[in-house]
Amino acid sequence: MTSSSVTPLKPSTPDPTAEPTVQAGSTNGRPVLQVEGVNKIYANGTVALKGADLTVRQGEFVSLLGPSGCGKSTLLRIMAGLGDVTSGSIKFWEQEYNVVGDKGRKMAFVFQNATLMPWARVRKNVRLPLDLEHQSGPETEQKIDKALEMVGLSGFDNSFPRELSGGMQMRASIARAMVTEPNLLLMDEPFGALDEMTRNKLNDDVLKLWQKNGWTIVFVTHSVYEAVYLSSRVVVMAARPGRIVDDIKIDQPFPRNADFRVSTEFAGYCRQVSQALERASAMGAPQEKKA
Amino acid sequence: MKEPLIQNETFVKIAAPMVVGVFFLLFWQIAVVAFEMPKYILPGPIEIMKSLVTDWSTLLNALMMTLKITLLAFVIAVVLGVAASLLFIQSKWIELSLFPYAVLLQVTPVVAIAPLIIIWVDDTTWALTVCAVIIAIFPIISNTTLGLRSVDPNLLSMFRMYRTSRWQELVRLRIPGALPYFFGGLRISCGLALIGAVVAEFVAGTGGSKAGLAYLILQSGYNLQIPRMFAALVLITLTGIALFALMVWLSDRALRNWHESALEVEH
Repeated sequence: MTSSSVTPLKPSTPDPTAEPTVQAGSTNGRPVLQVEGVNKIYANGTVALKGADLTVRQGEFVSLLGPSGCGKSTLLRIMAGLGDVTSGSIKFWEQEYNVVGDKGRKMAFVFQNATLMPWARVRKNVRLPLDLEHQSGPETEQKIDKALEMVGLSGFDNSFPRELSGGMQMRASIARAMVTEPNLLLMDEPFGALDEMTRNKLNDDVLKLWQKNGWTIVFVTHSVYEAVYLSSRVVVMAARPGRIVDDIKIDQPFPRNADFRVSTEFAGYCRQVSQALERASAMGAPQEKKA
Repeated sequence: MKEPLIQNETFVKIAAPMVVGVFFLLFWQIAVVAFEMPKYILPGPIEIMKSLVTDWSTLLNALMMTLKITLLAFVIAVVLGVAASLLFIQSKWIELSLFPYAVLLQVTPVVAIAPLIIIWVDDTTWALTVCAVIIAIFPIISNTTLGLRSVDPNLLSMFRMYRTSRWQELVRLRIPGALPYFFGGLRISCGLALIGAVVAEFVAGTGGSKAGLAYLILQSGYNLQIPRMFAALVLITLTGIALFALMVWLSDRALRNWHESALEVEH
């Protein structure tokens, strides 16, 4: 099943600065990220990832879905360059992966928690990536204004994180990720700690921003409903060893809204994804006993 | 309608211990008078107050000397302590190799090494300062090191994603994050610097124009000037309280916007 996600390299010359307009959710854009045969084995012998193959194309919204311990967060961190692989390769814009900080290849990471600096005001938190890249000047200030406006935090520049609600802190975190205008946004269960209403609202907002800005998003979650609602593709993973077991295209138009949540198509996809998850856990069970 | 004073929290916070203190002093004074206690054994509060006034110039000189050593030692302890912490976080090896010696410094009683230091260091002021530094430095080192290491791992990951230099990581992430721990260290350390200055002077027993409060206490003891002894003791205590209050104020100023320790609790 994993073979469906492996795509041969196209002989096109990579030009990361050129961004052809790609329909949101389209599955034939240029590959942004190619994970090929990635294994990750910890020193104690735990196999966190086994033979992971995954191609994320420009304009896609890919969810990594699976139970705890299936390596979905590990895979995401590897994609972000935050962890070594034992073997295998990762290509970013069809180039071997060693170019995290380079211009035009920007990616941003949104963590499970807002991960803001508590001692800095919202504006300073949002500008952090630009500060780290030594950017300044009126253009930089405009970028920050734009990012704050997009997440609906205009006017909260001078607030401290503790003065904001959990949802607003997460918005600040997203603004910080967006401020570099990334090609690829990696999100690690970003709204897991929030109440359902806030979560739905933020999901809708992220979807809108994704569609409007032509982003590519990889989104880790353990909620079937969230994955189906948001994604153009759901990648199902299984635990022990962590691996990709299914890759399901959610062939539904964007924008999606509350009507989609109650539609028969939505229910159908949720059933399909849930069944894939059940099959995955059934496959994982005997190995668990052996270990 | 104005709320009655007894329900005002700030008032109660100040008034309640004051009342206890006044009753204690009153009881003390009455007991001293009632049992006709000679003042070379236990003087009453009024005698001590009198001594504070009549011996003020002697006391003030001694206080200035002790304060000078305390502050000097405190500043040196802060500078050296922070420098040591910054060194420790550079590598696990450096910390592993050197931290036991910091602990050694901490567990050795200063009374036991003060005589040596007084022999080695000619200048009395510096000899006493060194003793006080030895006592005061450990909380700074251990707290600051802990603070510099206690970084949100996700924030650290983010810094790594942007290929940040170690310097940027230190200045933008580790140092601000370590501030609450550092200020915690300051609060403990300022009191220890005072204790160090006093204890070292007791051991040194140096007099003359450079005598501090400890020597004044010793001398008053020999001369049976017990009220003056108490007066000196009062000054040491007040100095300690003032230093601690100053540290609390500094820490609240620096952290009030973001850290839990400095936030006002809502009821």
